[in-house]
Amino acid sequence: MSHVPLDTAPPAGLPARPFKAFLEERLGLDALAHLAEKKRVPLHRTTVFYFLGGMALFLFGIQVVTGILLSLYYKPSPDQAFESVRAIMTEVEFGWLIRSIHSWSANLLIGVLYLHLLTTFIMRAYRRPREFTWMTGLVLLALFLAFGFSGYLLPWNQLAFFATKVGTDIAGGVPLVGKYVLLLARSGEEVTGDTLARFYSLHVVILPLVTLAVLGVHLYLVQKHGMSIPHPVIRRYGGEDRVPSIPFVPDFLLRDMVGWYVALGLLAVLAALFPWELGVKADPFGSAPEAIRPEWYFLFMFATLEQTPSYVFGLENKQAVVLFFSLVGLVVLLVPFLDRTADWGGPRRVLSFLATWAVCAFIIQTGVGLGLLHFRLGTSVATSGAAAVVLALVYLAYCRFAGREDRA
Amino acid sequence: MSDSPTPMPRRNWLLRLLQGSIAASIAAIFYPVVRFLWPRPATVSGAAEVTAPFTVEELKARYARGEVPPPFNFDNKPCLVVLLPDGEIRAFNAICTHVACTVAFRPDKKDIFCNCHNGVYDLNGQPVSGPPPRPLQAYKVIRRRLPNGQEEIIVSRTA
Repeated sequence: MSHVPLDTAPPAGLPARPFKAFLEERLGLDALAHLAEKKRVPLHRTTVFYFLGGMALFLFGIQVVTGILLSLYYKPSPDQAFESVRAIMTEVEFGWLIRSIHSWSANLLIGVLYLHLLTTFIMRAYRRPREFTWMTGLVLLALFLAFGFSGYLLPWNQLAFFATKVGTDIAGGVPLVGKYVLLLARSGEEVTGDTLARFYSLHVVILPLVTLAVLGVHLYLVQKHGMSIPHPVIRRYGGEDRVPSIPFVPDFLLRDMVGWYVALGLLAVLAALFPWELGVKADPFGSAPEAIRPEWYFLFMFATLEQTPSYVFGLENKQAVVLFFSLVGLVVLLVPFLDRTADWGGPRRVLSFLATWAVCAFIIQTGVGLGLLHFRLGTSVATSGAAAVVLALVYLAYCRFAGREDRA
Repeated sequence: MSDSPTPMPRRNWLLRLLQGSIAASIAAIFYPVVRFLWPRPATVSGAAEVTAPFTVEELKARYARGEVPPPFNFDNKPCLVVLLPDGEIRAFNAICTHVACTVAFRPDKKDIFCNCHNGVYDLNGQPVSGPPPRPLQAYKVIRRRLPNGQEEIIVSRTA
C-alpha cells in the first residue's frame, strides 16, 4: 500500500481520488490506517496465547448480538419471565438457537477469559509497563462473571432463583456493609420481582456500559504497548526488535478470523445438539431441588462453601469464604507489583508455585462441586498442594534435563 | 492586585460558597437516587401469622402417601411445617442459615436437609452437620379445631 500525503496531491484541479480525499479531510482515516499498519504480532512458541483476547472479544460480540435479539421477546417480571423464555424456546422461529448460543457463548467466554488470565500470567505479560492492562483485564473478568450471575436469574427458573438467593446472601456476608449490599441487590429482604427487574437492568444496561468503558481502556492499553514478548524469547533472539513478527492486518487478523469461524461452528453444534435447558419455573417458597449447583465457573466457590465448617476463627462460614476469595482476588490483582523480578526476567518461584496450586485447587474443587470427588476441605487443600509440588518438581527436572534456565 | 500583600478573605469566602454549592448540588442529585434504589417498604414487612394451607389430618394423609408438602408463604419467607411421629407439630423459617437456600423435611432420615450445600438440621432446627452456623428460626404453632372436625395449623412469630 502506498499513501499519497495530501500536500503532495495535485495542487490544482481535483485530487487523484476525490472521495478518499473528501473523507480523509473530514475523518483523518489515514491515522487509523497507519495504526493498523504499524501493529505487529511477534511469532514464537506461545504466539497461540495471543489469540485468546481476540477470541473473548468475538464471543462478547456474539453475546451483544444474541442478547439484543433475546431482549425483543423477553419480559422481566416473575409472572412472565419464565413463560417468555419458554416462548422464545418453543414459539419464536430459531428462538431456541439464539438463546442456546447466548448461553453456550457465555460459558465459552468465561472459559476463554480464565485461559486468557492464566496464559497472560504464564507469559508474565503483566510486567512493566502493562500493569494496568492486567488490572483492567481482571476487572473485565469480574464484570463478565457478574454478567453470568445476573443473566442466570432472568429465565426465573428454580436453579436461577436459588443461585440468586445464595449469591446475594454471600454478598450479604461482607463485613459491615453486607446487610445493605444484600438489600440493594435484592431490592428487599427476599428475591422477588423487584430483584428480577434490578438484575435485568444490570444485565442489559449497566454492565454493558461499564464493560464497554473498561474494555475501551483495556484495548487502548493493548494497542499502546503492543504485544508483550516473554523474556526467554527475547533472550533467545538477542533483543525484542529481533523477534520475528507478522503484521496484525491482515496476517494475524485473518488467523484470528479462522479461530472465530471455528468458534461459531462450535457454538452452532453445541446449540443444536445441546439446546440450553429451561428447567422448572421458580417457586419462591418451595424447597431447593436436589443436586442443585451453579454454573461450572462458580463451582469452585460452591464446593468451598459446602466444605468449610460453620465457623472458622470466629467467622461464619460464608464470611470466611468471602474473605478468603477476596484476598485471593486482591493478590491476583496485585500480581504485577508482587512479581519483583519480572522486569528483568528473573525467577518467579513463589508466585508460580502459588498459581500452580490455585489452578490445581480450582480443578479439584470444580470436581468436588460436580460431585465427582468427595473431598473434605483439608483433603482438597492437601491434594492440590501435593499436585502443585509434583508439577513444580517435574518442571525443575525438565529444565535440568533440557538444559534450560529455571525462568519464566 | 496580584502583588497585594494582604490575603483576600472575600475571595476565599466566595470560593467556599462555590464549593459548598457544588457539594450541595451533588448531594441533592444523589440523595433521591440512593433513596430510589432503596427497597420499597411493602417488600420489607409482612404478616404476623398465617394459617397453613393444609390441616393436621391432611398432613398425616400426605405423609402416609410418602409426600412432603413444600414450604408455604409466611411473611414473604418460606415456612416449613413438620409433623413429628408423636403428633407434635413444629414450624420453622425454611431459610437455611448458611446461604439462604430453602430447606426440606426428610421423613425417612428424620431430619431437615438443605440441598444446596448438604446442611443437616435436627427436628428442633438445630444444625447437626454441614456448613449451617445457626439453628433455623422456630415459629409458634397453634392448633385450632375446625367445625368439620379437622385441626388447622396456625403459625405465628414467637414473641
